[in-house]
Amino acid sequence: MSTNPTLALLILLFPALGGLVLAGRGWRLPRVFTVIIGPGVVWASFVCVLALFFGGAQGDYTYWTWIKSGSFEVPFNILIDNLSIFMGLVITGVGGLIITYAVGYMEHEDDASYARFFCYMDIFVLSMLLLVLAGNFIFLIVGWALVGLSSYLLIGFWYQRRSAVVAARKAFVMNVIGDVGMILGTFTLFANFHATTFASVFKALPRADNGAVELAAFLLLVGAIAKSAQLPLHTWLPDAMEGPTPVSALIHAATMVTAGVYLVGRMHPIYDVAVYAHGAVAIVGAVTALFAATIAIVQVDIKRVLAYSTMSQIGYMFLAVGIGAYSAGFFHLLSHAFFKALLFMAAGNVIHAMKDEQDMRKFGGLWGQMRPTSITFLIGSLSLVGVFPLVGFFSKEQILGAAFAKPDDAAVQLLWFIGFVTALITGFYTGRMWWLSFWGKPSPQRPVEHPHEAPPVMLVPVAILAMLATLGGFIQTRALGFGPSVVSDFLDKVVTPQRWEESGVAVGLGVLTMLLGAGLFWYARSLRPWSARLPWAQRLLEHKYYFDEIYDAAFVRPLDWLAGFFQRDVEVPVIDGAVVDTGLITQWTSQRGASLQTGYFRNYVLVFVVGAVIIAVVLLARAFS
Amino acid sequence: MAIAVFFFFAALAIVGGVGVVTFHQPIRSVLSLVVVMLSLSVMFLLLSAQFVFAVQIIVYAGAVMVLFLFVIALLGPARELGRGRLRFQTSLSILFVLALFGLMYALIQGIQYRQPEHADLSFFGTVQSIAVGLFTTYLYPFELTSILLLVAAIGAIYLSRKRIDDL
Amino acid sequence: MSTLSIGGQQLDASWFLLLSAILFVLGAVGVLVRRNPLVILISIELMLNAANLALVTFSRQLQNIEGQLFALMSMTVAAAEAVVGLAILVDIFRARDVEDVDDLSELRG
Repeated sequence: MSTNPTLALLILLFPALGGLVLAGRGWRLPRVFTVIIGPGVVWASFVCVLALFFGGAQGDYTYWTWIKSGSFEVPFNILIDNLSIFMGLVITGVGGLIITYAVGYMEHEDDASYARFFCYMDIFVLSMLLLVLAGNFIFLIVGWALVGLSSYLLIGFWYQRRSAVVAARKAFVMNVIGDVGMILGTFTLFANFHATTFASVFKALPRADNGAVELAAFLLLVGAIAKSAQLPLHTWLPDAMEGPTPVSALIHAATMVTAGVYLVGRMHPIYDVAVYAHGAVAIVGAVTALFAATIAIVQVDIKRVLAYSTMSQIGYMFLAVGIGAYSAGFFHLLSHAFFKALLFMAAGNVIHAMKDEQDMRKFGGLWGQMRPTSITFLIGSLSLVGVFPLVGFFSKEQILGAAFAKPDDAAVQLLWFIGFVTALITGFYTGRMWWLSFWGKPSPQRPVEHPHEAPPVMLVPVAILAMLATLGGFIQTRALGFGPSVVSDFLDKVVTPQRWEESGVAVGLGVLTMLLGAGLFWYARSLRPWSARLPWAQRLLEHKYYFDEIYDAAFVRPLDWLAGFFQRDVEVPVIDGAVVDTGLITQWTSQRGASLQTGYFRNYVLVFVVGAVIIAVVLLARAFS
Repeated sequence: MAIAVFFFFAALAIVGGVGVVTFHQPIRSVLSLVVVMLSLSVMFLLLSAQFVFAVQIIVYAGAVMVLFLFVIALLGPARELGRGRLRFQTSLSILFVLALFGLMYALIQGIQYRQPEHADLSFFGTVQSIAVGLFTTYLYPFELTSILLLVAAIGAIYLSRKRIDDL
Repeated sequence: MSTLSIGGQQLDASWFLLLSAILFVLGAVGVLVRRNPLVILISIELMLNAANLALVTFSRQLQNIEGQLFALMSMTVAAAEAVVGLAILVDIFRARDVEDVDDLSELRG
């Protein structure tokens, strides 16, 4: 038992060390070191988390006091409970698989960039672990911000590409908006409770003023929305696909974007009290889910389909935690991590084989040429649609069933309906993606005639995830009315348990959803171009409902103008001017002063005489005063 | 009689002074200065400064002025030509100098004279009294002055030696 | 207090002082207005002489010999200064014919 604090600290230390070593020495050492250290530290962390998991560890371990100033006290503490262990397993487990995969995917980079990539990945893992393990708000925010930083570094990894840099900046700026919300929320909580640790704040909640708690909950929600790319702070996620595919898999599918869900889960005492904010969580999630699914229909870049799909699925998770079905949401988080990472990595195999081509219209016919990847991709796709017996069915069904069956809450039925429609659309766009890329005849625009299958280092992690996606569902089948409920049992100890059961109708509707979704998946094969009939709708979707254009006009242009104004009319004339003018005045004064040195002896004597006159005047004045 | 002597030699001194300043030929300036010095030596005599009177004639008029004459002889007669480059120099100088004189006049009028220290005038200003002061109380400045003269002599020799090349 | 008994008659010390002032001012004018370096040096000597006169006057008025001693020192110093000044002038004259002290104005700035 007493080793638990050490283990907890080690979870963070391993990736920290990895990042440090790779940053300092990585580019000078042979590649094999990077290959060992990069993924290795993440696996080491995974082992530590496993140890804590099997040891049944629980505890709030404080290591030292970081800040103490009056009543503002911030310890460095790690909170180990079932939720943090759960998140830790996902991050280090799935993360380990992805980073191992990346060893193969990034092999074309030169040694220095290779090391830089894994350094950034390790830093990311560290930040994400810090986020989920932190025991107080301040370190939560530290982890939050560092995750945003790692995302920026990794999206813009190929910094020679202008589009990548712009995308990284966009992601960072939108994340900062979320950070501001988080910080203000923390301030609100501190102002009311004078405490920064989770334990102290949650203990003090019952005595609190509801208005303040609602405000804090909404502010924290802003942070969650930004980090998880939900409406309206979602525009950065599709652009983030500029980063290498392992980055998309790890950060923008399995971990970082799920931080918002974790936040709501961790803060469930607050959200249980702040009912308006809690409802907002669910509404945001449902709307985003539908919204993103519609956009996914028209995407041609395979990674963008997956990005919008991620946005949509996280909407489901928000919906779940928003209505109080926390375990359902986290189960979907787990299952989504499995199949979405799987999908990204399999897509990465295809992209790698196609010499970095990502346009699906140029694929076609890969089923015959890259059989293992195609199979794994199919498993991932079906899981995403929610087909029995893959894990996606169980998790999605649990959410929709909880929404439908929630008693005393008619509004939630509407949310269920939105989720239902979204599931059908999910079937359609997933099918389209599959048939376009893997079926039919090879497109005439193919960059590579005979693509080779991925090397083992890239195939094995994909295969492992495929297996997990296939079998994972069977640990939590309770929603259907029978079988184990490993996840809910595990998590219900720390989050509010779902207090109602699914009705039979709900289960039936779940099965119906699955069938309709699968049907649309099959229907997508024929792919009649519907854009001919509704060109305005096509344009609306292709422009992602013009969100980018609206934001550009509403925020970016005015700020640009303002910045230009300040640069032109304030910075240069006034501030620069003041500095430069000081110099000029000094010069001018000294030149005038220097002109006193005429070089003429007689002038100098005259000055003597003038001085003598002045002294005489002074003497006289004093004598006669 | 003393008053008449005073006014005569005062006038002479002033005339000489004006001559120093106004003659264009330097030789005439020097000779005017000699006149001034001789007049002043008479003033010294009136003021019971017998030794100073003698020294003034021997050293100042006799040695220093002769030195000036030698230099003028060496350098040749030079005349000032033209008006000079400094436009306001003359007018400003006269202005300030007049101001200076006016102030000095006012200062002189306002002097609060103290009581004289001794009453005995027979001993005052004699060679003996000078010697007593110079060789006892003020021996140190006296010796320093002699060193100063030595330094000046060396300096003058060094500065005016013939150079082989250009400076 | 300012009256001196000289040769049986009463003279006023301030007359001597006034003479000294006049001579001093004349010398100052000479230094300021004339452009021949020699004449400038001579004017300086005139100013020194005027100062000596003032010193001796006060010495007589106060019956204190120190004034005359000071005047002697002043004379010595004036002589030394004249010597060195003339040496410098001779040196400059060897390099270039200087009739106008305004020609020597390289140290302008």
